[in-house]
Amino acid sequence: MAMDVVDYEVFGSEMQYVEVELDPGEAAVGEAGAMMYMQDGIQMDTVFGDGSQQSGGLFGKLLGAGKRLVTGEGLFTTIFHNEGTAKRRVAFAAPYPGKIIAINLAELGGTLICQKDAFLCAARGVSLGIAFQKKLGVGFFGGEGFVMQKLEGDGMAFVHAGGTLKAKTLAPGERIRVDTGCVVAFQPTVDFDIQYVGKIKSAIFGGEGLFFATLTGPGKVWLQSLPLSRLANRIVMSAPAAGGRSADQGSLLGAGVLGSILGGDDD
Amino acid sequence: MSVVAERALPAVAGDKSFAGRLFGPALAGTGVAAEACWRADGGLRVVANGRELLAAAVKVEASGFNAERVRLSWYDDAAAGEYAFFVESPEARAICGQNAPAAHAAKLRGALAAQARTDRRFRLGWGVIGAVVLLPFLLLAIFAFNADPLARWVVGHVSPEQEAVLGDMTLAQTRAQMTLRDRGPAVDAVRSIGEKLTAGSPHHYRWFVAERDELNAFAAPGGVVVVFSGLIRAAKTPEELAGVLAHEVAHAELRHSLQAMAKSLGLRALVSLALGDLAGGTVSDGIARLGELKYSRDAENEADREGLRRLLAAGIDPRGMVGMFETLARSEGGVLPDVGKEKGNAGDPASEKTDKAAAKDAEKAAEKKPVRVAPPAFLSTHPPTEERLASLRQLLATAPTGQAPLAIDWAAVKASLPQK
Repeated sequence: MAMDVVDYEVFGSEMQYVEVELDPGEAAVGEAGAMMYMQDGIQMDTVFGDGSQQSGGLFGKLLGAGKRLVTGEGLFTTIFHNEGTAKRRVAFAAPYPGKIIAINLAELGGTLICQKDAFLCAARGVSLGIAFQKKLGVGFFGGEGFVMQKLEGDGMAFVHAGGTLKAKTLAPGERIRVDTGCVVAFQPTVDFDIQYVGKIKSAIFGGEGLFFATLTGPGKVWLQSLPLSRLANRIVMSAPAAGGRSADQGSLLGAGVLGSILGGDDD
Repeated sequence: MSVVAERALPAVAGDKSFAGRLFGPALAGTGVAAEACWRADGGLRVVANGRELLAAAVKVEASGFNAERVRLSWYDDAAAGEYAFFVESPEARAICGQNAPAAHAAKLRGALAAQARTDRRFRLGWGVIGAVVLLPFLLLAIFAFNADPLARWVVGHVSPEQEAVLGDMTLAQTRAQMTLRDRGPAVDAVRSIGEKLTAGSPHHYRWFVAERDELNAFAAPGGVVVVFSGLIRAAKTPEELAGVLAHEVAHAELRHSLQAMAKSLGLRALVSLALGDLAGGTVSDGIARLGELKYSRDAENEADREGLRRLLAAGIDPRGMVGMFETLARSEGGVLPDVGKEKGNAGDPASEKTDKAAAKDAEKAAEKKPVRVAPPAFLSTHPPTEERLASLRQLLATAPTGQAPLAIDWAAVKASLPQK
């Protein structure tokens, strides 16, 4: 599969969009609905499935589409193809506050595991697949569920996550403990596991839930500071219609109930 | 100690090398593509970025996402760091396994077993979850195939007293839908025939005549028998009425309506279990539909045979049963043509058509399980099929004849019904 090499530029600070430059004949695949604008000369083509297998036959297309449904994407992918003779640009916008990260899959050995829904756009040729989390404990308590996305190929892929993103390179054996839900993406050589917080007092009152996610190197990992669910939770909490009920972070007696009584409505 | 040498070399020679990705000190954090091969002394030789690394004490384990990869790692004193080589593709893993020194082969197998274990647990876990989700559907399937014996078993645990309570409920509901009369010449005629048919029954029977033109009669559990006045008008002799009564009494004695209710209730309970609708009302709803249940074809045949037996036991001429059924079959929409003429409006093609359509709709509704046919039309709940008539005639051929006619002044009974 020929990979298209794309140049790109990320704009904005907290609510970003990425502008991808396509040479004549080049193409990019975007998450349906993510396109923000495109220049003249770019043809938009919506395909059933993930757009990476242009000649996969009906069954292949159905399978690809089914996979996309499981990972929470739409049934269709949009391919943006530069039909002109000059370089053209197309922009994809992030759907919620956060950062867009550009990942060169070739540098990572061709595969990246990321949380479902994280995919924004990629050079044509990058395939989107499912990576099932097979460790039951991690699936239930790791914060990412059982279904993750697998990006495969040698091109550029753009992934989006909430808040500020931290890219961290772990040396062999180096381990980092992460709040569940904050893991965005990692190389498949990274061991993704969970660890009990250790003390029952911490588990109940610490506000971090019962488990940490642990990432053990070697490899590169990306963490987000603000998972969308947490942001949504806060918004719902402060919405007058919701009555200020909190369920933040799995803490049984956390900041929510007591906080709303003691702290007023300034959180 | 671990790393013996680090020299510039082109590549690992031979087909025994396997590809992978190397991580370690002074290498890119995201790893570099590398090739490795086992050495005779149990060490590992890795070539990455055109450089050769030699490792002596290699640790073998399953690692990475889902423990999908084989990780060969060693500590490098000179670089003061750990190196990790990941065998990625299945082909590379096969070569790695085939050529591994004896000391590592067992660990490699262990790594693969660990991976298989993760896989197995994953499948087992989802299997359990799937089973929990599918269990109600499984129960539903079992129920669907064994509904009759199950219903019979359940009904066997219902006492006649409990049945009478159900009868009272049905009676109360029927009274809300239609006028029931419990005295008068028509009721007396029904009672006198009915008591002959139900001699020795544990149930306390109550007989009613409803002011309705439909050709219908039904028996609710607990011995509540309701005959529609339309049926009495249509019956040419008291024996014909006796035939229908015998059939209905047989339904009650055989507890067909209870069984149908048990089936419908069980079905609904299971359906709500399977589909998650646990919001009450199941039981009350089931009682509400008690009078509207459809009997199965087997139940109808059984009631025919039992009714016939009861007619003979009571010394009533059983030919009335067939006569009445033929009348019913001919009457199509449930209103006899001659009755229609008498009334002057039912013969009107439009109303007959609507009657037919209603009967058809009722039949369609009856095909779907919990039925709502109010009030039940005899033709939709008791389809007088050719088979039924044929089997009845066959039974009659061997039945004794010469019964005395019923001592009822039939013309007076008919005349006592309100004229319309």
